[in-house]
Amino acid sequence: MENLQELFHGFTIAVTVPHLALMAVGVLLGILVGVLPGLGAPNGVSLLLPLTFGMQPVSAIILLSSMYWGALFGGSVTSILFNIPGEPSSVATTFDGYPMARDGRPTTALATAFGSAAFGALVGVILITFLASWVAQVALAFGPAEYFAVYFLAFASFVGMGGAAPIKTVVALAIGFAIAAIGIDTVSGSVRLTMGIDELVKGMNFVVAVMGLFGIGELLVAVEEEFHARAVSSKIEWREVFRAVGRLPRHSVALLRSAAIGCWMGITPGGPTAASFMSYGIARRFSRGGRYFGTGEVEGIISPETADHAAGTSALLPMLSLGIPGSATAAVMMGGLMIWGLNPGPMLFVDQKDFVWGLIASMYVGNIVAVALVLLTVPVFAALMRIPFVIIAPLIVIICVVGAYSVSNSYLDVVMMLGFGIVGYLFKRLFYPLAPLVLAIVIGDKAEDAFRQSMLMSKGSLGIFFANKLVTCLVVGGIALLLLPLVLQLARLWRKPASPAAETPSQEKVII
Amino acid sequence: MISRRALELATAILTGSFGVAVVVQSLDNGIGWSSAGVDAGTFPFLTGIIIVAGSLYNLVRGVVPVATLANVPIAITSIELRRLAGLFVPAAIFVAAIPLLGMYIASVAYIFAVLAIPRHQSVLRSAVTATATALALYVVFERMFQVSLPHGALAAALGF
Repeated sequence: MENLQELFHGFTIAVTVPHLALMAVGVLLGILVGVLPGLGAPNGVSLLLPLTFGMQPVSAIILLSSMYWGALFGGSVTSILFNIPGEPSSVATTFDGYPMARDGRPTTALATAFGSAAFGALVGVILITFLASWVAQVALAFGPAEYFAVYFLAFASFVGMGGAAPIKTVVALAIGFAIAAIGIDTVSGSVRLTMGIDELVKGMNFVVAVMGLFGIGELLVAVEEEFHARAVSSKIEWREVFRAVGRLPRHSVALLRSAAIGCWMGITPGGPTAASFMSYGIARRFSRGGRYFGTGEVEGIISPETADHAAGTSALLPMLSLGIPGSATAAVMMGGLMIWGLNPGPMLFVDQKDFVWGLIASMYVGNIVAVALVLLTVPVFAALMRIPFVIIAPLIVIICVVGAYSVSNSYLDVVMMLGFGIVGYLFKRLFYPLAPLVLAIVIGDKAEDAFRQSMLMSKGSLGIFFANKLVTCLVVGGIALLLLPLVLQLARLWRKPASPAAETPSQEKVII
Repeated sequence: MISRRALELATAILTGSFGVAVVVQSLDNGIGWSSAGVDAGTFPFLTGIIIVAGSLYNLVRGVVPVATLANVPIAITSIELRRLAGLFVPAAIFVAAIPLLGMYIASVAYIFAVLAIPRHQSVLRSAVTATATALALYVVFERMFQVSLPHGALAAALGF
């Protein structure tokens, strides 16, 4: 019950005029970056980050998280109306959302998507409300060894459950770690991995990497395909909105199942993209209308949308209570937390109660604001999609360049950003996952520090990672996740010795 | 036209050479165990080794034709390549021009060039879009958020 009291206190912080205004601004900006191809939640949030340095941390996080909700909703709008996923996590929404809209039911499709998205988000926030402080309390007793084990588990779950080729995930993670190590080593003070470039002593900022990987990289992928925005009508019939939302409880099994999948994938860093695909796949197998999936089935919209938003919100749980972000966007927000001088992790729940509970309360309110605003602005943003891509693309390039420059007023950052753009393009085309790369850049230092501190404590013996039950469980779980793809592959070979190359090509699409 | 295999190879070589660079550099910081605990180079050294090993695996997977790769033999067609270059080359020139021209003049020239030269828009509309962008940048950054964008060597020479 203590949680509810804290939550109530949080509402008194979140529901004030300036914060509601920030939510509205955040959501609108979020929908904008969600709608525009080439701009997504991770680089939208990192673009806004330098502008929040002067703000109170709680106001800043409300602005950034609202932008995240807006982007999640905005991505679904273009998926349904244009068959163009504005966000990677809304790719699965195009499968049934666009056919339904094309059949003359765009309002039904949009309302179903937003309704189930709001439900998914709600489940995620409720989970955070009741679980986050408990997890944080457990984590307060953690030493460096436990921390390293949790980091290890998080990274291993990317490899085991991320859906991309495991070795490609490992390479992406390791590159992230190496990038995180660039600059002055916090423990010994020596300069590392500057490749002879003096300016790199200050280290590589993750915002620069995100701008390039997600901004320029996504733009290059988008320009290659050359969009044909053949929109269906974007007019909203309000009566149909309420009718569609009213029909949602009939699909409560799908809603609950998808929310559970989403929460699981959000907390163990699988991320919203993997969650929505997994949920869609499972729904196709188990849903009553599963055979008609792909032709505009209601549950084909409900499943990915609920899971997407449940994962998006619950990704903040490990960020707040453990200091491990559950998605790329959460990683960027966590970078923000550190810049504002907060230390993400269990101590937040002790030292920064206003911040934590203000944020959690704002998640309830922010999602309501987001649903209302996205319904009201669908026609406006749909019109935006009719601006030719040739005009939008150079504008996004300029936004990324300015964004990378403004991080630390360095021209080198701009050049690096462009380089990351090429890497982002190559990685996307070849299905290397980007989220673990960003995650490793943001928390690589902390993971390394935890490892070195535990080594100091144990005088160089790896035995410290098996010293008590908790840490042993975490490490063994991590190793199991690492080996999971290998085991699955062997099992497949065992079952089907005739076709050795039975690697699922459908999985590759997940990471686009 | 670029095949999927070539793209896989190029990427694996790219990541692999980064890994080698990381390994070589981290050796300068010392690896292993010293009186002060784990040496500074150890962690990067290990990640470097992992990058190299993983890249080698991806390299081999890229060369040996596996069923999944055979499904998509061509990764980038020549038309797509032209479109990619059409976006990236002007963007790279834009970035290269910033130290000389400054952010504002460079972005005006960039927008104008990509809109007017391929005749996507009329010269007048391109000019208007280009100027509006630079003005918006100035108002948002220089005025509202007090972030000074680079003015360039040219502006400095002219005394701005």
